[in-house]
Amino acid sequence: MNANSSEILLPATPEEAWEAVTDPDQLSEWLGGSAELDLRPGGDLAIEVEGQGERRGFVEEVEAPRRLVFWWSTEDAEASRVELELEPEPGGTRVRVVESRPLAILDARGIEIGSWLAGPAAEPPAAAPELRARMLTTAR
Amino acid sequence: MAPPPVGAQPVFAALSDPTRRQVLSMIGERGEASASQLARSLPVSRQAVQKHLASLAAAGLVADRRDGREVLYRLTPAPMSDAMSWMASVGAQWDERLAALNRHLSR
Repeated sequence: MNANSSEILLPATPEEAWEAVTDPDQLSEWLGGSAELDLRPGGDLAIEVEGQGERRGFVEEVEAPRRLVFWWSTEDAEASRVELELEPEPGGTRVRVVESRPLAILDARGIEIGSWLAGPAAEPPAAAPELRARMLTTAR
Repeated sequence: MAPPPVGAQPVFAALSDPTRRQVLSMIGERGEASASQLARSLPVSRQAVQKHLASLAAAGLVADRRDGREVLYRLTPAPMSDAMSWMASVGAQWDERLAALNRHLSR
C-alpha cells in the first residue's frame, strides 16, 4: 500500500540507462523540462516539467549503475520516495521504479506534512535539512 | 504556517514517535497485524508495541478486531482510499516517463 511500481525494458546497457536517468542534460531532454541533480547522498534535485510544476528533493542513495533512491515533492509538500533499480537482461536493461509515500498516513488525515516536519520557517520543504533527517528516519 | 486542523492534535501526538510511525507503516504494508507479529520485526517488546497501538487507536488511526486469542490491527479506511487514488496517478505518471525514457534511448 502507498507504493506504486512501474517497469520497462530499455534497449540500452545499464551504463547507458544510468547515464540517461542521472545526467541532468539527458534528464531534461526526455522529461521535457529542466533538471538539476547533484548525484551524491544528500545532494539536491530539482525537476521542472511544464504543466506538472516543480519538484524538489534530495538524493538518498547512489549505486552506479544499479540503484538510485531519491525523495521529491511538489510545492504542496507531499513528499514521496522514489527507488530506481536497473538490471541487465538479455536485450537490454530492465528499469523498475517504486514510488512510495512513507509519510502518506499524515496527509491522508488532512495534516500538512511540510508544516509538521519542517516547522514554522518552512522553506521549499524538501530542501530543509530537518525534513531530510525526518524523512529518512521515517523511511526506515 | 496554518495551525493543525481541529481534531489533529491526538494524531500529531500519536505520530511524534518514530516507532509509532513505523508500526503504522508496517500495518499498512501487511493489511492487518497483531502486536506480537509487529514486535517480531521491531526492536521493542510486545508490551511496548501494545502501548503504541493503544495511542494510535486513540487517535483514530488504527482499528482492531478480535480473531480467536489475537487482536488484529488495521488502518482506518481514510488512508486506504487516499492511497488508492495516489497510486493510480503516480503509476500513470511513471508509465509515461518510462515510455519517454524508452523513446530517448531508442533513437
